Amino acid sequence: MNNAIEIRGLVKNYPAFKLGPLDLTVPRGAIYGLIGPNGAGKTTAIDLIFGMGKTDGGEIRVLGLNHQRAEVQIKQRAAYVSPDLNFMVWGKVGKAIRFVRGFYPNWDDAYCATLMKAFGLSDTDKIATLSFGAKMKLSLLLALARRPEILILDEPTTGLDPVSKQQVFAELLKAVEDGERTVLISSHSLSDIERFADHVGMIKNGKLLLEGRMDEVVDRFRMAEFFSENKTPFHNRDGFIVLKRNENRWHALVDQKTSGQDWLQTRGAENISLTRLTLEDLFVALVKEEEVK
Amino acid sequence: MAPANKKLILGPISPAAPGTLYQQIVDGLKREVSEGRLKPGASLPSFRQLAEDLLVSVITVKRAYEELEREGIIYRRQGLGTFVADLGHDRSREAKLNVAQELFREAAQEAAEAGLKQSEILELAQKIIKGK
Repeated sequence: MNNAIEIRGLVKNYPAFKLGPLDLTVPRGAIYGLIGPNGAGKTTAIDLIFGMGKTDGGEIRVLGLNHQRAEVQIKQRAAYVSPDLNFMVWGKVGKAIRFVRGFYPNWDDAYCATLMKAFGLSDTDKIATLSFGAKMKLSLLLALARRPEILILDEPTTGLDPVSKQQVFAELLKAVEDGERTVLISSHSLSDIERFADHVGMIKNGKLLLEGRMDEVVDRFRMAEFFSENKTPFHNRDGFIVLKRNENRWHALVDQKTSGQDWLQTRGAENISLTRLTLEDLFVALVKEEEVK
Repeated sequence: MAPANKKLILGPISPAAPGTLYQQIVDGLKREVSEGRLKPGASLPSFRQLAEDLLVSVITVKRAYEELEREGIIYRRQGLGTFVADLGHDRSREAKLNVAQELFREAAQEAAEAGLKQSEILELAQKIIKGK
């Protein structure tokens, strides 16, 4: 079993939104970045993996197990972190830890202590008075110290300062160090995702736009600038998105597999220059397309 | 498993520096090899260790190692780890020469396009080599 999570043909219907049919493949041992604009369906997909809400079609397999039939097993082996989790009722950090650790046989006290230090938390801290970032770190600590095989994080770095963000990602890299554990992270900090994630999946309007190894996905596309005397030869098509046009000067996002330099030349483009993109540039170009049409 | 070389120190890897992150790792390791700080046979950290150390994704380090392996600078032994090849030093030097040649060619072309004569280009190169 080389995939930690496999989603096939997942469908969930809401009155105003339809997720899917969605396919996602999260390889074992990877940090997988799930990205997409607000309302794309990231949280819906993540919630469904954890059995929160019923699916309207398709299949979710976690560690090779059916997510509904093996719900208990999966919940033991996978952990979920979200900014919505609230540990306030326990009062102090130490009490929350003592409460949570009782549920998980794999709980690692030594690791927990290391994480406390790394995240600057202490047993006697009052949860109610912790900053937003410190609460997020506590939530992450409670998930990591269980030594889960899969860690699912929904927007874990929202509201974290750059130093805290780096601490979080450093811990995530350590968490996957043995090559057995997997992290699925949904986030809008695309520069972090590009730097730390091995795989990426981009969803929009409930559908998967792109998925693959981060370096391959980012390498596949280029921002193209070119000149063309023809009046209307370039239209959006698969792998080619016009971003801006000023008379005969064009800016476009090109997928080098289908619409690279050669294709542009055969279509009469001149003075072509191709520039590498960051994941963020790629995201903006792909998401904006919808709005242009 | 052979103990990995934990003392490996590479320059900082940053998106603000030229080249992709994986290219920066490739260049950094080549520098270590060509300047003799990494000797033939020395073991390199695992992908995952180096990723943790440099705070980059595992795939980024993997890709850098794959490229260095293709160039014959390092080699992998299943279950043992990754090591600097005997020819690593030469190969790394060769690769550097190739890059230097390419950069010189580009620079010469830019200079020619800027209207510099051959003698002026050589003068410029000398100035740069001598540190102005």
